Amino acid sequence: MSALRLISNRTSQQALSNSDYTWEYEYYEYGPVSFEGLKAHKYSIVIGFWVGLAVFVIFMFFVLTLLTKTGAPHQDNAEPSEKRCRMNSFVADFGRPLDSERVFSRQIAEESRSLFHFCINEVEHLDKAKQNHRSPGLESNIHFEEVPRSSGMFEEDLNCLTKFNIPNCVNTEQNSSLGEDDLLISEPPIILETKSVMQSSCRILD
Amino acid sequence: KNISDFSLNVTDCTQVVVPEEVFFTVAAAGILENLLVLIAVVRNKNLHLPMYFFICSLAISDMLGSLYKTLENIFIILCKMGYLTRRGDFEKKLDDAMDSMFILSLLGSIFSLLAIAADRYITIFYALRYHNIMTLRRALAILAIIWTFCAGSSIAIALFSYEAATVIPFTILFPLMMFFILCLYIHMFLLARSHAKKIASLPTSTVHQRTNMKGAITLTIFLGVFLCCWAPFVLHILLARFCPHNPYCACYMSIFHVNGTLIMCNAIIDPMIFAFRSPELRCTFKKMFCCSR
Repeated sequence: MSALRLISNRTSQQALSNSDYTWEYEYYEYGPVSFEGLKAHKYSIVIGFWVGLAVFVIFMFFVLTLLTKTGAPHQDNAEPSEKRCRMNSFVADFGRPLDSERVFSRQIAEESRSLFHFCINEVEHLDKAKQNHRSPGLESNIHFEEVPRSSGMFEEDLNCLTKFNIPNCVNTEQNSSLGEDDLLISEPPIILETKSVMQSSCRILD
Repeated sequence: KNISDFSLNVTDCTQVVVPEEVFFTVAAAGILENLLVLIAVVRNKNLHLPMYFFICSLAISDMLGSLYKTLENIFIILCKMGYLTRRGDFEKKLDDAMDSMFILSLLGSIFSLLAIAADRYITIFYALRYHNIMTLRRALAILAIIWTFCAGSSIAIALFSYEAATVIPFTILFPLMMFFILCLYIHMFLLARSHAKKIASLPTSTVHQRTNMKGAITLTIFLGVFLCCWAPFVLHILLARFCPHNPYCACYMSIFHVNGTLIMCNAIIDPMIFAFRSPELRCTFKKMFCCSR
C-alpha cells in the first residue's frame, strides 16, 4: 500500500538494498517518530498481538474440542454374545411401554430401514464411481451408524454403509480412524429420488 | 544500541527485512499450487460441482495475493535498475491497481471461506434438498456476485484508502466474517454431537464414544491459519491510519514485510487444507502427473 510504504520510507535508513519504499507521495506526509521516554518495551504491540492471537486460537481449539466431545466412555471389549444378548433384549423391549428412548429407537429403526434401502440403491449407482477412491479416508462424510436389528440383512447394510461414501446418510463411524473429519464434506451429496426417504431423513437431520 | 538518537530522523525500529529470494520462492509456490488446483478442477468433469467451484474461488484469491507481491517486487527491482521513474503518473496508477488487487485478494479469500462454510452447512442441515438449493447455476451466480462486490470494494478502498471511513469498515468486516464462519461450523459440530449422543444412548448400540479431536483440530487449523496470516496485515492498516506517529505503532509497522510473507504463506497452506482433502482431487492430480511423464 502506498501510504504504508511511505511510513517505511521515513522510518528506515536502509534506503537502497531493499528499497520497497520507493514510492513517494506529496499529499501524504508523516513526521519523524521520536522514541524518547518509552514506558513499555518498544515491540510491545507486536508481542501483545501475537500472544493474544495464540491465546485466542488455543481457546477456540478447546471450545471446539468440548463441543465435539460425545461423553460416554469406551465400549471396546464388548463380546459378540453380549451384543447378541443386548440385541435380543432390545427386541424384547419393544413389547413393553418404556420411556422415550424406546420410542426414539423404534423411530430410528424404521428410519434406518428406509435409509438402508435408499443407501443400498444409491450404493449400486455409486459402485463404479467410487471404486477409485474408496479408501478408509471416508474423511469427508458425516455418517449415522444405525441400530442393527437382529436380522442379517441389516448387518450387511451396515457394512455397505461403512464402505461407501454416502454423504446424506449421517453416520458416526466410530471404529474408523476418521473421527470428526467427517464434518468436512468434500464429496458431493447424492440425488435422492424417493419422497418417503426424504421425509425420514429430514426427520433425522432436523 | 537501543538508545534512541537525539536526531529525530533516526528511529530504533528499523524495517525487518525479508530477503527477496524468500519472497519470490514463497510467492511462486503459492501461485503454482493454486494454479494446479484450478487446472485439476477444470479438467475433471466430476469436479464440476458447487463445492469445488467455491474452492476454486479461494484458490483464485490466493493466487491474486501472491501475484500482487510478486509484481510489487518486480516493479521495485525495475525501479532500482532505473527502468521506471518514481514519481510518474503511470507508476502511481500501477501502484493503485496493485493495491486494489491485494485488497481484492483479501476480500475474495474471506468471502470464499464464507461460501465454503455455508455450502457445507447446507449439505449437512438441508442434505436432501441440497441439490435443489445449491444448483450449479446458483453457485456460479453467487460467485459472480461475490467477486463483483469484492472488485468494487477493493477499487473504492484503494482509491480512498486514506479516509477513516474505508479503513474502519474494512477492519470490522474481517473479524465479523470470521465470527460468522465460526458460528456455522460450531452449529455443525453441535448437530454431530447431538446425533452421536442419541445413537450412543440406545441400549444395543455398539458405538464407541470418544472425543473426536480430528474435527476440532481441522477447524482450528482452518480458522487459525487464516487469522494468523491476515490479521497482522489488517492490524497494520489500522495502526497506519490511526497512530502513525506513535513509537509503539511505528515498531509494529516495521514488520510489514513479515506480514506480507505471512499472507503468501496463507496462499500455500489453503489448498492443502481445502482442496487436497478431497480424494477425487488428489486422484486428478495423480492422473495429471502420471500422464505428463
